[in-house]
Amino acid sequence: MRNTYLWFIQLVTGVLIAVLAGIHTVWMHLDAILGFFGVDVREATAWHSMIERSREAIWAGIYIALLVVVLYHGLNGLRNIILELTPSARTERIVTRAIIAFGIIIFIWSAYVPILLLST
Amino acid sequence: MRQIQPRQNHLGISGWIWAGNYKLERYLYILHRVTGLGILLFLLIHLTMTTVFRIQGKDVWEATMNILHNPWFKFGEYLVVVALIYHALNGLRLILQELGFLMGKPIPPIYPYRDSLRKKRPWTMAMIGIILILCLVFFYDFIAGGW
Amino acid sequence: MDKEKNEQITFRIQRYNPEKNSQPHFQEFVVTSSRGMTVLDGLIYIKENLDSTLAFRTSCRMAICGSCGMLINNYPHLACHTQIEEFHSSRLTIKPLPNLTIIKDLVVDLAPFFETHKAIKPYILRHDGTEMDKPTAEFAQSPQSLEAFLQFTYCIKCGICISACPTSASDKLFTGPQALAQCYRYCADNRDEGEIERFPVVDTDHGVWHCHLAGACSDACPKGLDPALAIQLLKRRMVSQAIGLGKKEPPARIVPPPTQTKPKVPFPDFTVKGNK
Repeated sequence: MRNTYLWFIQLVTGVLIAVLAGIHTVWMHLDAILGFFGVDVREATAWHSMIERSREAIWAGIYIALLVVVLYHGLNGLRNIILELTPSARTERIVTRAIIAFGIIIFIWSAYVPILLLST
Repeated sequence: MRQIQPRQNHLGISGWIWAGNYKLERYLYILHRVTGLGILLFLLIHLTMTTVFRIQGKDVWEATMNILHNPWFKFGEYLVVVALIYHALNGLRLILQELGFLMGKPIPPIYPYRDSLRKKRPWTMAMIGIILILCLVFFYDFIAGGW
Repeated sequence: MDKEKNEQITFRIQRYNPEKNSQPHFQEFVVTSSRGMTVLDGLIYIKENLDSTLAFRTSCRMAICGSCGMLINNYPHLACHTQIEEFHSSRLTIKPLPNLTIIKDLVVDLAPFFETHKAIKPYILRHDGTEMDKPTAEFAQSPQSLEAFLQFTYCIKCGICISACPTSASDKLFTGPQALAQCYRYCADNRDEGEIERFPVVDTDHGVWHCHLAGACSDACPKGLDPALAIQLLKRRMVSQAIGLGKKEPPARIVPPPTQTKPKVPFPDFTVKGNK
């Protein structure tokens, strides 16, 4: 039932992304609406605000969680699209291994910066 | 008698886009795929910017932000947000329908046939309505300069 | 179109003879059509009077055998079940079903389609082998249990859903909406205990999880089967089996036939007295 598990996790990560990326997008862009609800965003894309956020463990946690679920969801989706176009067992092995390797590299490269900045 | 090879008649990728006079849900599916790939591409650029340009210090960051306040980039960002809204809401609908929740029960097929996606079309229309409302909310923020 | 007035309809048919042509090409025929005439009637007229080399499959002419599926004006129909009048046009373009290899003219190769159907084991599987070989009793299945899968038993294996499916367009190894709907029909049948054997067949990289709910199969199905619903219900069964949720229904019991028959009722007397 391997494909069933992979697809079920695709659905679960989809819901998680809808929540986490929703928080991220709304925090970055809808400052007036959030201000109406009493949340002060403090100019989300400016340098000082970004450095303050990168010191808080909650934000680092949200960013790393978002990174993990997005990488899984997106790369699994890409793998399925490629497999729909290239029907052969040998291609399936190559594509799966390439995508796993790509995902691990991107994760290590992108998670490094938030963790580094957490201690500044 | 020589062997005749049957002629391949598969539509290929063009069969994803147009294969005949089909209904709405077939095109929602291909749009879901296109927005997913678009968001993945945006993700790679976004990750580059928030890692490489962030650890290089304040000046590089502020220079990047100034470039990104260009209206063309703002419009591109708005398209990404629209893609994200569509993919997320259509994805939520797909999760519910693919696990059989919003699909109804099997019924005896009495002519004229109404398949379950057609019967549950109001849910799809409600989802499109929410997508349009959210796109308008973000439109005011991105294009019309904020609230 | 009145019964008296006849219209001249142009049939633009894709011809391809692998022994003679290298490319498919279109050939036009003009057919006099009247009210109630189906596309199949037009094709038979062409074959009998205009060009006898036209190849197409037909058998029952009443939408029950599934032979005459073809693409008419860019949408898959059964030719016997489609009236010329419903297109409101004097030009009909007829092509063979896409996503299946062409043998000649409008005849496509359905052998891979049937092989996939056989691969999902379309028969009742029960643990008790001797009972299946030499049945001594009948299964107890209530009308409610029958309703859970009855709609999907009406499949006539015409291949129209395969032509409509966008995944089948690019993925030659995709199981296809017909086989997946029939897999659900047998898994949902409470007489069947073979779910575990069928899941590995459809849980592959080109199996049920490449269905993305485009719904074109249900839209095009000429018997109103709704294969899209069957496939999503199959996904539901597979997920609940994989993560362990959902209640398992026991399979249908075996009920031996009654040994004691009811007492004979006397034949009722006639209420109308005849001439004595």
